[in-house]
Amino acid sequence: MNTNTQLSDSALISLYIAGKESAFEQLVNRHKNKVYTTIYLIVKDSYTAEDLLQDAFIKAIHTMKSGRYNEEGKFSSWICRIAHNLAIDHFRKEKRSPMITLEDGSNVFNNMSFSEDSAESLQIKEDTHARLRELIQTLPQTQREVLMMRHYAEMSFQEIADATGVSINTALGRMRYALINLRKKMLNNNIAYDKNLYSE
Amino acid sequence: MIKTSTQNELIQYVYNELADDACEQLELALTQDFELAESCSDLLMIHQLLDGAAKAPHQRAIDNILSYSKSFSLQS
Repeated sequence: MNTNTQLSDSALISLYIAGKESAFEQLVNRHKNKVYTTIYLIVKDSYTAEDLLQDAFIKAIHTMKSGRYNEEGKFSSWICRIAHNLAIDHFRKEKRSPMITLEDGSNVFNNMSFSEDSAESLQIKEDTHARLRELIQTLPQTQREVLMMRHYAEMSFQEIADATGVSINTALGRMRYALINLRKKMLNNNIAYDKNLYSE
Repeated sequence: MIKTSTQNELIQYVYNELADDACEQLELALTQDFELAESCSDLLMIHQLLDGAAKAPHQRAIDNILSYSKSFSLQS
């Protein structure tokens, strides 16, 4: 049994810097989905997102191993910020804007456990999550930004307010509109919205 | 009509950022105000859906990261 299972991110980072590679593996596995989703929602391409995911963690490796990691903030916020910046830089280099495209979902999977689900409910969930990701792309940029920072990068609303130069009430308002708009869009698009399908 | 301040508190509540005393007041209000409770329910449902919408990278990408880390550690 791995003794690192319940360790905090901070403890895992300390172990990793001290040379314990298994601590880093846990850290990566703990945060990979949120980092990947943060990137994917910007670049909308699985292969590009995986490349940038690797770049983000490589940057993190260099920072941690060189002793430049600042332990004041949360690791998840930090690594997701790196990922977000890399994704934005990717579009700047490509000299194009993020495109809203439909995904085929053929080579992706999400992080929910479906072991107890029927094939039909599994398909409904997969379809719903794919459509939801598409709808996130259609939100106004300020709302999408707050949603990604809070929900996937796990930044607090105060951290988001500080990072984006707005008041906490503005950040909360943007999040509220983001969630309300997503709900409206789901209803308008006749997307399955049955709470019984999504209960853990 | 739900006040904006209360709506913002609902968001903080859904994301576990509401202070304990405000949380108690809001939970009491939720038992007495159907419109507020319905709004809260909608927000919680979207919140749960967003959790499910997270995607996972292929294992090969994770293996590449871990391999890089090991080789980097050997070099340094």
